Amino acid sequence: MGFEIKRFQGDVDEELICPICSGVLEDPLQAPACEHAFCRACINEWISRQPTCPVDRQAVTASQLRPVPRILRNLLSRLCTSCDNAPHGCNAVLKLDSLASHLVECEFNPKRPMPCEAGCGLVIPKDELAEHNCVRELRALITSQQGKLTDFQQELAEQRLIINEHKRELALLKEFMRAMRISNPTMRALADQMEREEVIRWANSLTRARVTRWGGMISTPDDVLQVMMIKRSLSESGCPPHIIDDLMENCHERRWPPGLSSLETRQNNRRLYEKYVCKRVPGKQAVLVLQCDNTHVDEHMMVEPGLVMIFAHGIE
Amino acid sequence: MANIAAKRIKREFKEVMNSEEVAGGYIKLALVNDSWTELQGTIVGPPDTPYEGGTFQLEIKVPETYPFNPPKIRFVTKIWHPNVSSVTGAICLDILKDQWAAALTLRTVLLSIQALLSAAEAGDPQDAVVAKQYRESQQLFLLTARHWTNVYAGGPSAIWEFDQKVQRLLDMGIDEHEARVALSHYDWELERATEQLFS
Repeated sequence: MGFEIKRFQGDVDEELICPICSGVLEDPLQAPACEHAFCRACINEWISRQPTCPVDRQAVTASQLRPVPRILRNLLSRLCTSCDNAPHGCNAVLKLDSLASHLVECEFNPKRPMPCEAGCGLVIPKDELAEHNCVRELRALITSQQGKLTDFQQELAEQRLIINEHKRELALLKEFMRAMRISNPTMRALADQMEREEVIRWANSLTRARVTRWGGMISTPDDVLQVMMIKRSLSESGCPPHIIDDLMENCHERRWPPGLSSLETRQNNRRLYEKYVCKRVPGKQAVLVLQCDNTHVDEHMMVEPGLVMIFAHGIE
Repeated sequence: MANIAAKRIKREFKEVMNSEEVAGGYIKLALVNDSWTELQGTIVGPPDTPYEGGTFQLEIKVPETYPFNPPKIRFVTKIWHPNVSSVTGAICLDILKDQWAAALTLRTVLLSIQALLSAAEAGDPQDAVVAKQYRESQQLFLLTARHWTNVYAGGPSAIWEFDQKVQRLLDMGIDEHEARVALSHYDWELERATEQLFS
């Protein structure tokens, strides 16, 4: 819908008036053949009722409407208009093409967001500032937040219940599996086979890593700081749950194979390090040396199901 | 009332007031209420027609959805015309129905209605009785239309014979307008009109 003609300074040419709303053309479009121009909103409204030009009734569809020529757009953008907020005291006179940007920052906009300076810090429309009461607003805020809190607590309780149910089911299932394994030797072999394959699948999904500075190896890592972070990263990468705890135990030299278990043996076997096939622990300065990847390595350099080596630096 | 409708009507009202037709006294437009939803139009009968010299009042109702829908217009003054109902004053004019276009204004619509009085469209009648008379006894139609213009729209030419016949039925206790309608419908044959009125 077009701009009220009274807002403009001087006479507005008849050609710049929308024949539908009788205001000054806003975002105009024209019919293809007869080139009659209308506000976008007006002509779309009309065509939704009747697919004709409102001036000469030639057939027109919404998709045939075209932007108006540049000359018409230029003539429109040169018109001088008062601000939308003139009734609220804005005396600005603007070119039509700068009206939109002025409106965004117009001081007189009654709905302009203003921070309350009485202390509550809420941002409110300017015209509501006079009626604004910090205590009332904040109380309303507290009430709504308490409502939300209650909802969340309720949801939390429900989720807990569901988790407990799942836990019980899982325990039952594990028990059932164990009984099956014991009673049937083929089942046991099958389960072992599945677990091995799972480890291989996971190992293949990890990217290879190269250790550039073996000297940066941390043989006695901090359980809480380093080991827990590695565990989370492994779990997120899809590490099979039946080996994760073993792997975490194998972060520390006390569980490392004879060839690595002391500073002395490590120095003696340094040349063997290059034989390791290492996998990156995603996002960490640490590598996985899995048994399934390293069947070629000497027994005294490897343990089941693999090693985790944490480094201070030097992983690529 | 929707903003766009009120804005348009205000502008169109001004347009009509500043037009040559108002200056020449051919059409008039007046507000009925403050909300711009209802207006009263007036057109004078065009020269060289049986409506010449008559002044016809029109009721104009502006819908909420104006100008996307046409204004609702009917004759308040009774008129004998094939495209206007002699009973309700409803007008059969394409631009007030499916041929309405949003760029039409009250001024162009009033002028179109005035033009309709000069050139009836018997192929698309609003009043079948009038249209039949218009096609079959053109002379009688012209006289009847002139008589109605004289009685209801202040036209200058009274038709003595018709007035006499209406008076006859009036003497029998028939309502004047009812008598005139019956006589007009039966081509001013007193016997048939009487028969119909008393049947």
